[in-house]
Amino acid sequence: MLHKRFILRQLTRSGNQAAVFVLCVTLSILTIVAVNGFSESINRSLLRDARALHSGDIILHAHYPFSPALLDAVADLEAEGDARSLRIYDFYSVVRSPEGEKTLLVDLKVVGPEYPFYGRVELASGRTFRSVLAPGTAIVEQALLDRLGLALGDRLHVGEAVLTVTDVVTREPDRPVNFLSFGPRVIIDIADLEKLDLLQRGSRVGYYLMLKLPERTNLERTAEKLRSAAVAGQERVETYRTARSRIKRFFDNFLFFLALIAIFTLLLSGIGIRSALTALLKEKERTIAVIKAVGGTGPFVVGHYLAVVAVLGLIGTALGLILGFGLQYSLPLFFGNLLPENLHLVISWRAVLEGLVLGILVVALFAFIPLHHLREIKPSAVFRKESAENRRSAPFYLAALIIFLFFVGMVLWQLKDMKIGSYFVLGIVGLIVLTGLATQGILFGVRRLPIRSLALRQALRGLFRPGNATRAVIITLSAALAVVFSIYLVEENLDAAFVRSYPADAPNLFFIDIQPDQVDAFSDTLGMTPRYYPVIRSRLVSVNGERIDREQERKRRGDNLARPFNLTYRDYLLEDEAMRVGDSLFREDLEGLQVSVLDTVVEMKPMAIGDRIRFNIQGVPVEAAVSSIRTRTKESIKPFFYFVFPEDSMLRKAPQSIFTAVRVDRDEIGAVQNRIITRFPNVTAVDVTQTIAAFADIVHRFSLVIRFFTIFSIIAGVLIIISSVLATRFARIQEAVYFKILGAKGRFVLTVFALENLAIGLISALLALVISQAGSWIISARVFDIAYRPNPAASLLMVLATVLLVIGVGLSASVSILKQRPVIFLREQTEE
Amino acid sequence: MHVLEARHLTKTYRIGEREISILEDISFGVPAGEFLVVEGASGSGKTTLLTLLSGLDRPTAGSVWIGETDITDLKEDELAPFRNETLGFVFQSFHLVPSLNALENVMLPAELRGDPRAPEKAEALMKRVGLADRRFNFPHQLSGGEKQRVALCRALVNEPEILFADEPTGNLDSENSDAILDLLLALRKEHGATLVMVTHSPDIAAAADRTVTLRDGRIVGERRHAA
Ligand SMILES: Nc1ncnc2c1ncn2[C@@H]1O[C@H](COP(=O)(O)OP(=O)(O)OP(=O)(O)O)[C@@H](O)[C@H]1O
Ligand SMILES: [Mg+2]
Repeated sequence: MLHKRFILRQLTRSGNQAAVFVLCVTLSILTIVAVNGFSESINRSLLRDARALHSGDIILHAHYPFSPALLDAVADLEAEGDARSLRIYDFYSVVRSPEGEKTLLVDLKVVGPEYPFYGRVELASGRTFRSVLAPGTAIVEQALLDRLGLALGDRLHVGEAVLTVTDVVTREPDRPVNFLSFGPRVIIDIADLEKLDLLQRGSRVGYYLMLKLPERTNLERTAEKLRSAAVAGQERVETYRTARSRIKRFFDNFLFFLALIAIFTLLLSGIGIRSALTALLKEKERTIAVIKAVGGTGPFVVGHYLAVVAVLGLIGTALGLILGFGLQYSLPLFFGNLLPENLHLVISWRAVLEGLVLGILVVALFAFIPLHHLREIKPSAVFRKESAENRRSAPFYLAALIIFLFFVGMVLWQLKDMKIGSYFVLGIVGLIVLTGLATQGILFGVRRLPIRSLALRQALRGLFRPGNATRAVIITLSAALAVVFSIYLVEENLDAAFVRSYPADAPNLFFIDIQPDQVDAFSDTLGMTPRYYPVIRSRLVSVNGERIDREQERKRRGDNLARPFNLTYRDYLLEDEAMRVGDSLFREDLEGLQVSVLDTVVEMKPMAIGDRIRFNIQGVPVEAAVSSIRTRTKESIKPFFYFVFPEDSMLRKAPQSIFTAVRVDRDEIGAVQNRIITRFPNVTAVDVTQTIAAFADIVHRFSLVIRFFTIFSIIAGVLIIISSVLATRFARIQEAVYFKILGAKGRFVLTVFALENLAIGLISALLALVISQAGSWIISARVFDIAYRPNPAASLLMVLATVLLVIGVGLSASVSILKQRPVIFLREQTEE
Repeated sequence: MHVLEARHLTKTYRIGEREISILEDISFGVPAGEFLVVEGASGSGKTTLLTLLSGLDRPTAGSVWIGETDITDLKEDELAPFRNETLGFVFQSFHLVPSLNALENVMLPAELRGDPRAPEKAEALMKRVGLADRRFNFPHQLSGGEKQRVALCRALVNEPEILFADEPTGNLDSENSDAILDLLLALRKEHGATLVMVTHSPDIAAAADRTVTLRDGRIVGERRHAA
C-alpha cells in the first residue's frame, strides 16, 4: 500500500536537489528527442522519397559511356514497353560570362527530355521545369548569377556553346541539398550536349541512365536482367531501394556522428541523475532512519521513494519532451543559414517515443544504486551524526554491469554498426576510465600538498568534503570538454592545414581533362611547361585472383577499393615520394606488366611484391604484378597516384587525359583560367584554394551543428556541479558560519568557495586540455596526416572559460550559503 | 573600568504579526579580569544575551561596548576582525570545523589574523591541554571531552581579552565537565582573560566573581562572591 500523503510530502519538501534530478532527466530526454528528431527531419524531408532522390526506379551509372550491350538491353526493355529511359550527364566544368572576363567552376547537369521521372524541379519563376528548359538555354543556381554578375536573359559560355540563362533553380529532387557541390548548378538540355563538346574520352563525367518502370514490371527482375548485360565493375545497376546516393551517405555519416554525441550526453546525464539522486536521498537519510525506527519496513521505504523518484522522473521526462519539441521548432533559429534551406523540420513522434522509453530506462538504471542504498540505512542512524559510507556491494556492481550493457546496446542500436560501435564503446570507456584515473591521481596529489595560504588550503580541503561529488564533476566535465574541444581543435587544424596557410609552393590551379594532343598548345597558352600527368581511369577487379567485394568495400567509411582509380605511367619518383618496399619503382626480376602501389592501398588491403592486381581499364582487363610500394613523405596538395605503371607499357595506348597542376599568383588565377578555357573549352580549370575554402565552409557549418549538440553534455557537467554544491550545503554553511564566528570576513569565505571551484574548474579544464590535445594530435597525424598546431590561444581561452563557468555556477549555487546568519545556524545546531 | 558593557539592550523577534520580547533593557558592566556567570531558567534569554554581547547578533535597541568600541556600530566586516582579535568562544556543542584536524582547528583564528606563529602557539596550547598526540585527528575521531578541549584551545589561541562560554559542559558527563572547567578556569587565569559564562551548574557559579540571573529577558538578581 502506498501512502499518498507521504509521497506528496517528500515531493514538496525535496527542494533544489529534486530540481537538479529533474533537470538531469530533462537533459537526457531533450538530447535524445532533439538529436533523433533532427535526424528524422533530415531523413524525412531530404531523403525519404528514395525514388525522387534517385529520380528513377532503376539507376544505371558509369564513369564511361555505357557499353553497347547495356544500351541494347535498355532498348529492348523500352521496345517491350517495360521501361522508359532518361539520360543524365553530371560533371564539373568551367563556364564564362559573355565578355569572357569572369570564369567559374560549375556543376553541370545535362538532362534528357523526361527529367525528372520523380519529384519536381522547383524554379524561382514558379514555372514548370519542362516548359522552361529548351535547347539553347541554361537553368542555373542563383549563386552563379551572383558570382558572374549576370542576370536572367544574359548569355553564358559553356564549353563551345553559348546558352541563354532562362531561370533560377531552387530545388532539384535528386539533389535536396546543394552544399556538397563545389560549384553552382547549371542544367542544360541534352540536345545541346554535342554543341558543348565537353565529353572527351577519359574525362571525369558521371554517366547516368534512369529507368522508369510501369507498375506491372518487376523491379528486381528487370534490374537483374540489366545487371547481366552490364560490364562488371564498370557499370553499376541499382534500384532506388538499394542505391546509396552521395547525399544520403554524407548525412548518414553526419547523423551517425550526432548519434554518438547524443549517447555520450545521455551517459553524462545518467551520471548526473545518479549524483543528484544520491544527494537527494542522503538528505532524507535521517527521515528514513526515523521511519525505520518507528517500524517502517525496508520495502515500505524503498517502495515509497521509488514512487517519489518515478514522479520526479516523469516530470523530467515531460519537461524534456516539451523542450525537445521547442528545440526542434527553434533549430532554424539556432542554426540559421547553416541548415540546407529546404530542410523542413518536422515533429517526429518516433523520436518522442524513443525519448520516452530511453528516458525511463536511463532513470531506472541510474536510480537503482541510490535507491538500493536505502535498504542499508539502519534505524540506529538516528543516533549518529555521520552517515554510513556508501559501501559497494554486489548489487552495485550488478547495476554497473547492467548500465554498461545498456550503454553498449544503445550504441549498437543507434549506430547500427558492430565494429564502429565497439570502437566507440571502447573509446568512451577508455575516456572515462582515463579521466577517472587521472582525477584520482590528481586528487591524491592535491590532498598531500603542503599549502601555506589558509584560504587555498581550506578550499582544497573542501574538495574532499564528504558528499562532495568532486570526482563525478571532474570526470563528466573533463570528458565533455575533451570531446567538444577535440572537435574544435581538429577542425581548426584542418582549416589551418588546408585553408588559411595554403602552402606557398603548392599548386593552386589544377587542369583536368587536357587531351593528349593538346599538350603543346596548352604549354604555349600557359606560358610555361608544367609537369604533365597522364590519367587513365580504371577500376580494381581482383587481387591475387580474389575479387574485390564491392558491396563490402562501399560500406567502409573511409577510402575504399570499389571506387574508380586514376592510373598513370612514369619511371621516376616524385619529389614528395619515397620507396617503402623495394629499391626502385620497377624490378628486373618480374615478368610481364608491373605496377608500383602507394602504401595507402596496402592499408586497405595487404599486398606484397609480386602480388597480382587485375584492373579494368575502360572495359579492357589488365593484370600487373606489384613491383614496389611507395609512400608520400609529406601530405600536400600536390597530385599523387595510387598506381604507377612503367612509362614504356601498354598504358600509353589506353584512352587517357592529361592532368597538370601549377602555381599561379593569386590575382592572376582568373586571367589564366580564362585564357585556358577560352582556348580549350574541354579543359576544367579548378581554383583549388577556392574549392578548399568552399569545403572548409561545409565542414564549419556541420561542426557548428555538432558543437551545438555537444553543449548538452557540458550542461550535464554543470548540473552535477550544482547537485554537488547542494549536497554539501550543510557542511558549507557550517564552515562559513564557523569562519565568520572566528573572525573571518565575508570576503574570506567567498574566496574559499571561489578557490574551491577554481580548483575543480582548473583540474577539469587541464585534464580536458591534455586529453583533447593528445586526441586531436593523434587524429591530425594519423587520420588526416597533417601537421599539428596545439592552438595555445584557444586552449587558454577554453581553460579560462571553463574556470569562469565553474566558479560562476559554484558560487551562484552557494549564494544562500554565504548569506546564512551565524546565530540562526548555531541555534539550530545546538538544538540537534 | 569596564572591559565589556551592555547599555539598555533590547531584543525582540517578530513572528508573523506578533512581536515577542526576548531581552528587555539590560544594562551591566564587566570589569577587566572578572569571571561572570549568567544563569537563569531555560528560555530566559541567556544565549541571546551572549550572542549580543559577542557581536554575533545585533540588538533591537541599546548598545554593547567593548573597551572603547561600540560594537553595535561596527559593520559586519569590521566586526569580524574585531571578534577575531579580542573575543574567544566556547559552545555547548563544540562547533569544530569538520574538514580540519584538531591542530588546524586551533590554528584557524591565528591564521585568519595572519599570525606567522600560529602553528607554534597552537601546538603549545594543545600540549597544555594534553592533546599533543591527538593533534592530527579530525573532529569525528575525537571524544566529546577532547573536542571541547580543542575548542578551548581555539578560543584562546589569539589570547582574547574576553572569553564567552555558553554551557561549555552541557554535552559532557560530569567527569569530563569537571576536567574542562578546571582547564577553562586555569587557562583563563594564565591568560588573564575576562570570562562570561552561561551555566546551570551551582558549583561553577560558586567559583565565579559574580552571578547575574535572568528571568523572562530581565535581570532579576545579581550576586557577588567573595574572592
Ligand atoms: N529567532 C528567534 N525567533 C523567535 N524567538 C526566538 C528566536 N531565537 C530565540 N528565541 C526565543 O528566545 C527565547 C530565549 O532563547 P535563548 O536561547 O536565549 O534561551 P536560553 O536562556 O539560552 O535557554 P537554554 O537554557 O534552554 O539554552 C526563547 O524563548 C526562544 O524561543
Ligand atoms: Mg541557551
